[in-house]
Amino acid sequence: MRRLVRSVTWTVLLFALLIHAAPVAAQETEPSFLSRAIESASLFELSPIAHPAKGEQPAPDPYANIRPCAGCPPRGVGRAFLQTTVVNVFYGIANLVRGQVTARVTPKTWWENMENGWVWDLDDFVVNQIGHPYQGSNYYNAGRANGLSFYESAAMAAFGSATWEFYGETNKPSLNDFINTTLGGIAIGEVLHRVSWLMRDPTKSGSGRLWSEIGATVLDPVTGYNRFRRGDASRIAEKPADMVPSTLSGFMSAGVLWRGTEHEPFEGAGQPFMEADLLYGDVLQGRSRTPYDAFSMTLRFGGGAPVSEARLIGRLLGQPLRNGKFQFSIAQSYDFQKNDAYSFGAQSFDAGLAFTQSLSSRIGLSLIGSGGLTVLGAIDSLPLGVEEVPVDEPESSAGQGVSEGPRFYDYGPGSKFTLRALLLHDRVPFAVALYEGRQLYSLDGVRANHFLQHARLDLRLPLRGPIGLGVAGEYFSRHTYYQDEARTEKIFRYPQFRTYLTWDIS
Amino acid sequence: MMRSSFAGVWCVLILLTPAVSRAQEADGSRLWIVAGGASATVRGDCQTCEEDYPYRHGGSILANFGYRANPRMDVGAEIFWVPLETASGTLNTTHIDAVAQFRPWRTHGFFMKGGAGMAFVRNWVDTLGSGAINSKALSIVVGGGWAFRTEQRVGFQLFASQHAGALGDLKTADSDVPDVMGNYWSIGAALVFR
Repeated sequence: MRRLVRSVTWTVLLFALLIHAAPVAAQETEPSFLSRAIESASLFELSPIAHPAKGEQPAPDPYANIRPCAGCPPRGVGRAFLQTTVVNVFYGIANLVRGQVTARVTPKTWWENMENGWVWDLDDFVVNQIGHPYQGSNYYNAGRANGLSFYESAAMAAFGSATWEFYGETNKPSLNDFINTTLGGIAIGEVLHRVSWLMRDPTKSGSGRLWSEIGATVLDPVTGYNRFRRGDASRIAEKPADMVPSTLSGFMSAGVLWRGTEHEPFEGAGQPFMEADLLYGDVLQGRSRTPYDAFSMTLRFGGGAPVSEARLIGRLLGQPLRNGKFQFSIAQSYDFQKNDAYSFGAQSFDAGLAFTQSLSSRIGLSLIGSGGLTVLGAIDSLPLGVEEVPVDEPESSAGQGVSEGPRFYDYGPGSKFTLRALLLHDRVPFAVALYEGRQLYSLDGVRANHFLQHARLDLRLPLRGPIGLGVAGEYFSRHTYYQDEARTEKIFRYPQFRTYLTWDIS
Repeated sequence: MMRSSFAGVWCVLILLTPAVSRAQEADGSRLWIVAGGASATVRGDCQTCEEDYPYRHGGSILANFGYRANPRMDVGAEIFWVPLETASGTLNTTHIDAVAQFRPWRTHGFFMKGGAGMAFVRNWVDTLGSGAINSKALSIVVGGGWAFRTEQRVGFQLFASQHAGALGDLKTADSDVPDVMGNYWSIGAALVFR
């Protein structure tokens, strides 16, 4: 270590010399980093929201000259870094309040974490696959709320995630948390940011406007906080153009789900569920270089777990080919599925090709094929010889929410391919057939290659006005090829059937 | 020998920077090439290992090739090669990652870098057997630094980074070691061509 410290010292010295040698003229024309940081910190203080009385002139906007548009947030990189750090402090205090021993950080634990480097952690599936990505969405939106672009905010998510892992907890920095927090945070963060902008209408005023701002703040607290702090929550302005989708359609569904397990084809009692499906923008057409200007979201509550499914697919790039007959796209996806039969989560990137054909003036057919890489996937897995997860998990003495293992799921990278056929009515899908294949190679956990297949058929029929009826049949299969000496192979199959009422919220 | 070579690379890089001060501004070029060296510290660990494994030090070489997405962001591929001499042989690790490098402030050189890819490990600390054993790993890199002459065709950067190589099972001459993770800390300098 002494050599490393010596190298650091030499580099810092060299670094200081080079900075000192920078042209004086540049120092005169550009505000220093320190002055920018101080300015950013001062902007972080609470300022009263202007509420002009009738006939009174509204208060001038102090940020008017640094906004790209009247309804856009002013750009503040230092403020974004600061708020990302504040988010970490907030989570740290929350963990301290919960009595977690891992929240008792000191400079000594920071140094130990830096010395140790990355490890895999043993936290619960939901904590790692939903909790961390949600935390990452707060970092990401600290960037978006301060006028940073998608990719700049992605860097902010990585910054917040890395600093949390090294300095926010006493346990060793976790590689799986870093990946899930960063990539999941980007996906969830951008979706929440855009959905919260759907709720806001900054051209309105009055109590309706206030409640819409409060509702949006619940979805995206960091942006909401900044809007109230700056007075944007009450200021009349146009909505930022890039927050207005080209098309919007969606369904709310409520119904019953029957799921089989490996041992029983179908359980007798159905499980109630509620689902929200949103199609934001048109993923099937248009040249796009604006990430997430088109995305799809599925969020299911109930059906075997409080949150049993969350899927986000956000377009990063779209390019029409052959006069729009084909559409090439690159997308980021976030997957989470957990129920009493299986658990799965992943952070992936896909490239896809879509073909669209009109069948009549209102009916269209789209065929989409895509393939890509899973940066990190998580799948439930039991060691050979263990048939069920033990019910009595050992009590942790480390405080609420701290898991000390064992962990009954594996982590690893992999690949993915998908085929999808959609029948559309006025560009809204009413019949969807899906086949998805995934391969995961377990790097941490029970050593195995997992091959997952998922086939699904959804039909939605309109009944009256926005009300409709839906049915869906699904079939999951998983082949697990253990890397033991006997090369054991196990097959798991889970059929699933759903029936539900839908409410078209388009 | 290796150490002095890397010290040489460092000196050349530092000396080259003033020499190219007359270089023109990058006139719309979208190319991004980085080449440099670093001092690296490596440590392997595993979840079930009770032994406290040592830190090992050596030189490393870093190269980036890619595309300048905009004046503040570069994206591309990174190759990071760490050869380490040990008493029982040479441990080689090559990380090949897709990376993005981002400067939050256009007027300042501070940059952050992150990426993911694969690492190829030939032999491993303390597990050297009779023959060379190759392992593949999931690779993650995070880092940061300061870039100088960011608008010029030839620039210079100082960086610190941490690469992780998640090997899963490490095959050794005697047995397999489960859940092995290699951590690579590096601090160095590089020339940047645009």
